[in-house]
Amino acid sequence: MTGMKLGQYVYGDSFIHQLDPRTKIICCTLAVISVMASDSFYYLIFLLLLMTAAIVSSRLNLKFILKSIYQIRSLLLVTLLFQAFLTPGQSLLTLGSINMTIEGLILGSINILRLIILFMGSLILLMTTTPMKLLTGIEYLLKPLEKLNIPVHNFTTILGISFRFLPTLFEEASIIRNAQKSRGSQFDAPQLMVKIKSYAAVVIPLFEASLCRAADLGEAMDSRCYTPHPNHLRLNSLKMKSQDVLALLFVGIIVLAGVPISILTK
Amino acid sequence: MSEGIEVVSVTKQYTVYPDSKINALRGINLTIEKGEYVGLLGINGSGKSTLARLFNGLLQPTKGKVYINGIDTADPANLQEIRRMVGMVFQNPDNQLVCPVVEEEIAFGPENMELPLQEIRRRVDWALHVCDLEDKRHHAPHLLSGGQKQMVALASVLAMLPEYLVLDEPTSMLDPKSRRALLEQLYLLNKQEGITIILISHNPEDLLQTDRLIVLDQGTICLEGAPREVFANAKFENLGLEVPSLYQLIYYLEANHFAVPEKIKSIPDLVEHICLQL
Repeated sequence: MTGMKLGQYVYGDSFIHQLDPRTKIICCTLAVISVMASDSFYYLIFLLLLMTAAIVSSRLNLKFILKSIYQIRSLLLVTLLFQAFLTPGQSLLTLGSINMTIEGLILGSINILRLIILFMGSLILLMTTTPMKLLTGIEYLLKPLEKLNIPVHNFTTILGISFRFLPTLFEEASIIRNAQKSRGSQFDAPQLMVKIKSYAAVVIPLFEASLCRAADLGEAMDSRCYTPHPNHLRLNSLKMKSQDVLALLFVGIIVLAGVPISILTK
Repeated sequence: MSEGIEVVSVTKQYTVYPDSKINALRGINLTIEKGEYVGLLGINGSGKSTLARLFNGLLQPTKGKVYINGIDTADPANLQEIRRMVGMVFQNPDNQLVCPVVEEEIAFGPENMELPLQEIRRRVDWALHVCDLEDKRHHAPHLLSGGQKQMVALASVLAMLPEYLVLDEPTSMLDPKSRRALLEQLYLLNKQEGITIILISHNPEDLLQTDRLIVLDQGTICLEGAPREVFANAKFENLGLEVPSLYQLIYYLEANHFAVPEKIKSIPDLVEHICLQL
């Protein structure tokens, strides 16, 4: 497990990196709302440019992100085709009994833009925030739920451990797969049943190894004084700064501006 | 309050099946003084890891008592205090690292101890410095080498400033260079920081620097003393263990009337001593 992975945190000290995770989560949520609420093509193009500017300013690898967008091209294409053929309107092309419409193409392009903006937004959030900071942010934002006796701290700890162990489990799965392959497992067999049986030989030891890891991790956490009671003192404690207020204001204005723009350009 | 670890007539029994029980430890009596560097040696299944887990209350004895600085580990109310005093590093670094970033991993213990933020920061910086991980503070632990991961595990425990450090076969998954670096680090922590070290291993070569060796066999202490006495005992090799090459050389030299001082604990030191004598 080496090299850059999609959505993996990339160390940096840019303006966006330094923002409080709560600011970034709120901004992303606002962006999602505005993207979903607005169907103005120009406004979405503006948001796309804004996301690109955010990627460049946070010194993330734009080429890598564009490549990642290219990797989800099938999803984008399916979205476009579905909209183009299933939306009623002025016919552009007829294929048998279905019509491709101009309205459908426009709606499809808008949805593609929406998907790309959401994809870029989530990448900016994930790649400029350490998983622990992200979880601390989520924990802070969900803190009101603790009053309803919902153990938010425990959920975020479980999420944090999942983040930490995903790469280790992938690595382990790859080792087990190779071990089974060397003993004759046929992962590339044309018969579906053979394939399923081969993968069962990976899943079962992986599951057993995960249980062993969980037991070891439990011991390690216990021996480092872990208790399920929330502890608010963290090394990277969250503190809203003036830059966070600025960022929230900026995103808030853009989201609010989206409403009149959408109405005017309809 | 007496300082040190005291194990009094401890027996630990595991239930394997409802009708089958195994005695992992049988009536162990042991005292570890503060500031000592102790090695726990034995073949697989001799009870080393069970004994280690009794020291910080991860396991409770079936019979007998374990006291840390006079505090009984059997009382659940004492467990947090005991775990602050007795830090534990496990065999597989991958299974003991909790957080996705090195710095946050090291802060995990101090955060759980509810220390003030400045103190957490101070301890994290100190542990990173001691374990030579300052340039890795923002890295993801799973991207580090095995040796570096074990150093992160050590730093994570050191940040809790334990009085006693128990290490359960920490070198078994490391390459020779990382193993040497870790052992050197442990020696320095004992001599410079005064931390009591209890190093568990099935490899006698790991335990050359210790002040005292305790050899376990089938859940009992069968040999105890300075490494030089223990390795010279005829029983030692009968336990399926091998005398380290340093001591094989020392015993050969002594048999040929060449005196080797007690302080010699490594082959380079021995070579230097021989050169000075010739």
